Amino acid sequence: MRDDSGREKEPTLLERPHSRRSFLKSVGVAGAAAAVLPATALSQEGGGDAKKPPAGPAGVRVIGRGATEFTLSINGVDTKINAEPRSTLLEVLRDDLGMTGAKEVCDRGACGACSVLVDGKAVNSCMMLAIEGTGHRIETIEGIADDPANAALIDSFCTHDGAQCGFCIPGFVVRSKALLAENPSPTMDEIKSGLSGNLCRCGTYQKIFESVQGAAKGGAK
Amino acid sequence: MNIDNRVAIENDKARVDARPKVTGAAKFTADIQMKNMMYAAFLRFPYGSGELIEADVEAAKSVPGVIEVEVTAPRKAGYVGANIGYVAGESRRAVQDGLAALKPKFRRGEARSHAADFSEGPAKLSEGDQARMDALFSKGAAVVQATYSTQVQTHSALETHGGVVDHRGDSAEVWGSTQGTFAYLDGIAGACELDASKVVVHNEFVGGGFGAKFGPDAEGTLAARLSMKHKRPCRVMLNRFEEHLDAGNRPGSIQHMKIAAAKDGKLLGGTIHIEGVVGYRKGGGDATNPALYEFGNVVKSGSEITLNAGRPRAFRAPGWPQGVFAVESMMDELAAKLGMDPVAFRLLNEKSARRRKQLEIGAEIFGWNRRKPDGTWPGVVKHGFGVAGAEWPTWPTKAGADIDLFRSGKVEVRAGVQDIGTGTMTVVADVAAYELGIPREMIVPRVGNSTFPEGPGSGGSQVTRSVAPAIMDAAKQIREQLTELVQEKWDGAKVSYAKGVFSEQGGSRSLKWEEACSLMSGQKLTASGRIKQEYIREGISDGVQFFEVAVDTETGVVRVVKVVAIQSVGRAVNRLMLENQICGGVTQGISYALFEDRWLDGPTGGMVNPNLEFYKIAGAKDIPEIIPIIDATPEDTGVRPVGEPCTIPPAGAIANAVANAIGARVRSIPITPQRVLEALATKGARS
Repeated sequence: MRDDSGREKEPTLLERPHSRRSFLKSVGVAGAAAAVLPATALSQEGGGDAKKPPAGPAGVRVIGRGATEFTLSINGVDTKINAEPRSTLLEVLRDDLGMTGAKEVCDRGACGACSVLVDGKAVNSCMMLAIEGTGHRIETIEGIADDPANAALIDSFCTHDGAQCGFCIPGFVVRSKALLAENPSPTMDEIKSGLSGNLCRCGTYQKIFESVQGAAKGGAK
Repeated sequence: MNIDNRVAIENDKARVDARPKVTGAAKFTADIQMKNMMYAAFLRFPYGSGELIEADVEAAKSVPGVIEVEVTAPRKAGYVGANIGYVAGESRRAVQDGLAALKPKFRRGEARSHAADFSEGPAKLSEGDQARMDALFSKGAAVVQATYSTQVQTHSALETHGGVVDHRGDSAEVWGSTQGTFAYLDGIAGACELDASKVVVHNEFVGGGFGAKFGPDAEGTLAARLSMKHKRPCRVMLNRFEEHLDAGNRPGSIQHMKIAAAKDGKLLGGTIHIEGVVGYRKGGGDATNPALYEFGNVVKSGSEITLNAGRPRAFRAPGWPQGVFAVESMMDELAAKLGMDPVAFRLLNEKSARRRKQLEIGAEIFGWNRRKPDGTWPGVVKHGFGVAGAEWPTWPTKAGADIDLFRSGKVEVRAGVQDIGTGTMTVVADVAAYELGIPREMIVPRVGNSTFPEGPGSGGSQVTRSVAPAIMDAAKQIREQLTELVQEKWDGAKVSYAKGVFSEQGGSRSLKWEEACSLMSGQKLTASGRIKQEYIREGISDGVQFFEVAVDTETGVVRVVKVVAIQSVGRAVNRLMLENQICGGVTQGISYALFEDRWLDGPTGGMVNPNLEFYKIAGAKDIPEIIPIIDATPEDTGVRPVGEPCTIPPAGAIANAVANAIGARVRSIPITPQRVLEALATKGARS
């Protein structure tokens, strides 16, 4: 992978699989309480107030286990975060920033209720450490809803009754935006595949499909 | 056949609170954050039986951020997930660290995990009953003896149980994820040691309930007690693991039936014995069987099998989906033996005239005539067709609603009842708009607040039918008050009102709604409405659903292809919401019939799949074409229950469709690929 100037670029954390478990497993140096990141992965100095920072192998910098400062780009705003490296992006969004549109339902990547966009791709924010998001563009349902460019999608969910209790719906909207960005006029089967990582217990699926069709280019297929 | 679903008071507008839900702005209990809030979580017993030997309470207390640790007596527990203590802390992370630091050690006992191990088979009849039944069976042209079993299903509402309590000494403000505003109020006021008048419960948005969320339970109670003690807000929300284990479930069942039918197709009767599969204490395990049909002379008995697992609770149409799965399976087995068409056989034995009509209409819309004899569909992937019914009684409950009419012409309607996704907030707006004759946009509906007029919890599908009449009553009073003002202005002339316009009877004067409202001397007119006898109509909600499935006979995978779901609704309020709720009931039923299963590990009694990847609920790719048909009765001014009956038929209809497809019957749900292949193998061995 090359950057703009053509130099070989280190893959960022986000270019690896989006799983905090596989990530923690793969580094496996200091236990789950401290995150060990390649020094290049963070754009700014990470603090860390651990009493005894574990020694990392050469070339890596150890952060944690206490709270660490880092910056996340959330809905176009650089946001200073002060959180333990083990915090998931979902925890930081909900507990630290009060952005509660993304929901915690399964907390292990099985339901999609916590979906956010990272560099335009839908990601389960419960399966990603917040600190992994540094240097990436994070969009939450709050940002998506505020952006007039998404008015048709939001309106379509509202007019097609694409929600019953509504707990899962922000996740579906985020996932639908990613789907339509990739495929502006999906077939019904493509809609179902695109939304297959999200669960709705009320069984609103049919109205959700209609909502996506309504927002799709050229309407229903 | 053309179906007209546009029979509702409101046909085109979706729910009033769609936008906050879609944009993530809606604040559910799980989203409530308060300054200086503390958190707590329970220590959970990991085995079906046994006891706690030790836990390092001091180590937990020394974890930074931990405020309080308690390991409660008794240390013995009866099921996996029983709470035996808690940790409270400054943050969720501190609480989790505290729980980990407890390093509890347990002694494991023998767990009762698998219901089949404890089944005692059909009931032993008394001599008299036995003789009577023997005589009856000897008269039957078809006699079928079969055992049907159903799994334990967890509610799996996406918002878990929990509450946030801010106890302020002489009052408390509370957010609860509850389907019963006032049940929660009563429970939480007790836990706060306050009079209910000093406590406000907010539950404007609730992330599903399905029968498991009424009172505050252990989690709300703990939040109340900690908040009272520490004089700061406290939040206790269960996680997904706890939600599966300790928040209730639909009990399992083993249903032993032996039923006879005469040559003409009339059911004669028989024996039914239900073994309910419940928690570690008895209770709540009955299945609604017999049901729907004139079964004749039936001897029914029941018992319960206890397991070292979480307890049953009401779950959307309690007792019905499991009972009707067995009833409808038996109906098809008898029809096959008699060589009759399943729809024709049902028409002969159906109790309800409305369902007879629904069967006839539904068969036509669905294309029932495409059905082939059992197991004769050509090819590897075989299609099959099945049908099943539902009924649900109506019982009106006390409910109230207040209306404020402001001088601007705008209206606020308040009802304390909750909206758990059923659309209550929208019903309030639609009914008020209709009764007042003004656009819905002029109405501000408010629900889910214990300071508003009391109404029922969301149980028995009774909220809409109870609160709508209260709104009608209040609206009538408001219309009368406003008419009086107009009459006064017109010097006692006779005034009539329709659709936003007051008119002088026998005269030419008229006033629009806003002009009439500007006549009021104060800021607003108010009215309190109550459900009254004149608005109450008796009636049963009926439903019939037709299913088409495709079964891959090589892999055993069952896919639902098409569903026609007819549901009687009485007076229809909002078309889109009705369709949505009916499709939702069908979807939950598909999920119950094909996927969901609480797996318990034999020796430990532990739940193997307390999550959402191995406890599978229906997802986008599992959804067939669903055609919801609103069977409205405009002559009936009452609203009839919808939420529960629409989830009753799928399991039975799917089982019948699978049997029709493959020519062999699966008598246990969920109908997994393994069970389909076993049924096919058994059939192959027979033939």
